[in-house]
Amino acid sequence: MNPQSLHWIILLPLIGAAINGLLGKRIGRGNVHLVALGAIFGAFVVSAAALWNVSFGGAEKISQLWWHWFTIGSVPVEMALSVDRLSATLICVVTGVGFLIHLFSTEYMSHDEGYWRYFAYLNLFVAAMATLVLGSNLLVMFVGWEGVGLASYLLIGFWYTDEEKAYAGRKAFVVNRIGDFGFLLGIFALVALFGTIDFAELQTAAATLIPSAVLQGGVFAGWTVTAALTLACLLLFVGATGKSAQIPLYVWLPDAMAGPTPVSALIHAATMVTAGVYMIARLSFLYVYAPGAMATVAVVGAATAVFAALMAYAQNDIKKVLAYSTVSQLGFMFIGVGVGAWWAAIYHLVTHAFFKACLFLGAGSVMHGMKDQTDIRLFGGLRKEMWHTWATFGISTIAITGVIPLSGFFSKDAILHAAHANPNLWFSWVPTVTYVLGLIAALSTSFYMWRMFNLTFNGERRGMKEHHAHESGPAMTGPLWILSGLAVGAAVWGLPLASGARFERFLHGVFAPAEANLRRVTELAARELGVAVPPAPGHDLAAMLPGYLIALVVALVGFGIAWYLYLGPGKGKSALIAEKAPGLHAAFANKFYVDEFYDSVVVRPLKGFARVLWQVVDSFAIDRLLVNGTAVLSGWVAQLFRYFQDGNVQRYAVVMAVSAVAVLWVFLF
Amino acid sequence: MATVPLAHYLALASALFAVGLAAVLVRRSALVVFMGVELMLNAANLTFLSFSRAHGAQEGHAIAFFVIAVAAAEAAIGLAIMIAVFRSRKTVNVDEVDALKY
Repeated sequence: MNPQSLHWIILLPLIGAAINGLLGKRIGRGNVHLVALGAIFGAFVVSAAALWNVSFGGAEKISQLWWHWFTIGSVPVEMALSVDRLSATLICVVTGVGFLIHLFSTEYMSHDEGYWRYFAYLNLFVAAMATLVLGSNLLVMFVGWEGVGLASYLLIGFWYTDEEKAYAGRKAFVVNRIGDFGFLLGIFALVALFGTIDFAELQTAAATLIPSAVLQGGVFAGWTVTAALTLACLLLFVGATGKSAQIPLYVWLPDAMAGPTPVSALIHAATMVTAGVYMIARLSFLYVYAPGAMATVAVVGAATAVFAALMAYAQNDIKKVLAYSTVSQLGFMFIGVGVGAWWAAIYHLVTHAFFKACLFLGAGSVMHGMKDQTDIRLFGGLRKEMWHTWATFGISTIAITGVIPLSGFFSKDAILHAAHANPNLWFSWVPTVTYVLGLIAALSTSFYMWRMFNLTFNGERRGMKEHHAHESGPAMTGPLWILSGLAVGAAVWGLPLASGARFERFLHGVFAPAEANLRRVTELAARELGVAVPPAPGHDLAAMLPGYLIALVVALVGFGIAWYLYLGPGKGKSALIAEKAPGLHAAFANKFYVDEFYDSVVVRPLKGFARVLWQVVDSFAIDRLLVNGTAVLSGWVAQLFRYFQDGNVQRYAVVMAVSAVAVLWVFLF
Repeated sequence: MATVPLAHYLALASALFAVGLAAVLVRRSALVVFMGVELMLNAANLTFLSFSRAHGAQEGHAIAFFVIAVAAAEAAIGLAIMIAVFRSRKTVNVDEVDALKY
């Protein structure tokens, strides 16, 4: 592949967005679909060619200097793109899954007036996401980072006439902006430290850092390298918590379900929310110098995984369950990048993109067949009416709950194994904590997913009994089958082999610098602490087996509980639990009052402050006192002076004469 | 022949000016106000000519002619305005013509 064609991955969807956005209303539905799908398919072909090149074409990295953007101080900022195996994998997922979701949307959105706007936004999103993934320096990445935030805002608030949905869009945007601020500060910190924002240059500079060295001059004068990098990495992680919906900034994602369902599949499950994971994996060679930041990432990820999974227990909205599930699974990915299992995190990212996109699209298919109803309490027994949706949804549920031999099992357990097995010299409690929390999250995942599956597809219909659900057409079931096939098939890359999983070996070149740096840091720290250097985590299959068994048991236990409570003899017991412990149930159902907490601690004080600024400062001080006050004062003064102008010219003449005499008096005497 | 000193001319001019000014300021009839203005103009003329003669310079004469010309034009326009005002208001009393006020 010609390396000078990488930019088409960004340009094609961007052109598609422009055509559909400007002319979409006129060119008709068929042409809108053609443009949108054509653009994304073209991008996918270029991405696939890039992936082929970095996999088999000799060079592991393709770089393209698109144009010189600007120079700030002595730091040149290029509009440069590059593809290595990490970004090639991701860009293929983005454009590939993106294409399937576009295809799904052609039928799903067929009754919507604003279909052309919808496809324009979707293409815009893919263009932004491609920029984020392909950017070969932090600022290009930041452009994409902001771009996906914008597209996400537009799509969440797609039905903007509904105030609640428009509010959800604003909430997502504002919460993301908070994270982006941290991300930007992190970039500034890296510029201050290294004087470059280019990933390759940062990697070279990071290879020879001495963690305990004290920095001379600059912003960080007097700091050690570790301290400065910990700060920078934590700031970048703040950005990641915003974009990837981690504690404390996850609150926007569940509300983001206000958008059309395929959007949730594409943006809020498969691609955009993984940006934080991708960013940390991309900068893994820096993160290893900041053990504190790594531990924070892992622990926040683990806490989010559990917390979000618990919140999914009592949700009755099919999309909300999936939303919390997404937050939870993203937590798993952060455990992965936090404990140094970058490949496992990326692998989970990819498999999650497949099965979660399939789940969301399945939910969309259910809604399409059930008059846009989302309450799973009203569903039940849909298996008979929607066989394709049932089958694909089931396959993906098995995958996400981590049952052998589907991809979710291998990706999740690769992370859990690494969390458990990777030694942490600095914070020895991290492996235990993350592993235990991860297991609880896995158990919860299994429970709430099977709860939802059973309530939706199995048993008998509980509500809307007069409505006959219809199966969706081939444009919707096709993508479902492809995605569920991928969710099954992706397992081959994760099979634990003696020489490491295929995907691990595939990404070896990308994470080798990080591993080498980690090795160096560990050795230096071990010497300082006077302990033995822990051995590098190997691929001891025997050691991995117990972990796999535990994970499998956990998944099956979750399935068992869900079966018992919602299908088996324990049917109705869940209502009993809610009755016996109403406070507990309310806490779960109300998502532990986090939104209310943020509302009273952050939103309302800010609103109060804004009200003071508006009514006291703006309305009163500026508008009334300064602007209108000036006018009123002139009015008063003029009121006084107007009495001198009474039309009697002789009085004017007297004033003139007296004044002239007075002036003469002053000047002459 | 004894020449009249400059101060006498100036005193006369000042007196004329004062009379004119008084007429402008206190008389109600626009016609008399107008005559006051003429008096003041001629007081100025007299001053110009006195200085011109005392200093032996000719510029004062020139300016006096200008003033006479201006006064003639002003008389024509002023009288025309007065006739116009009288036609519409049946009066030329300046204290009754006070429409231009707040």
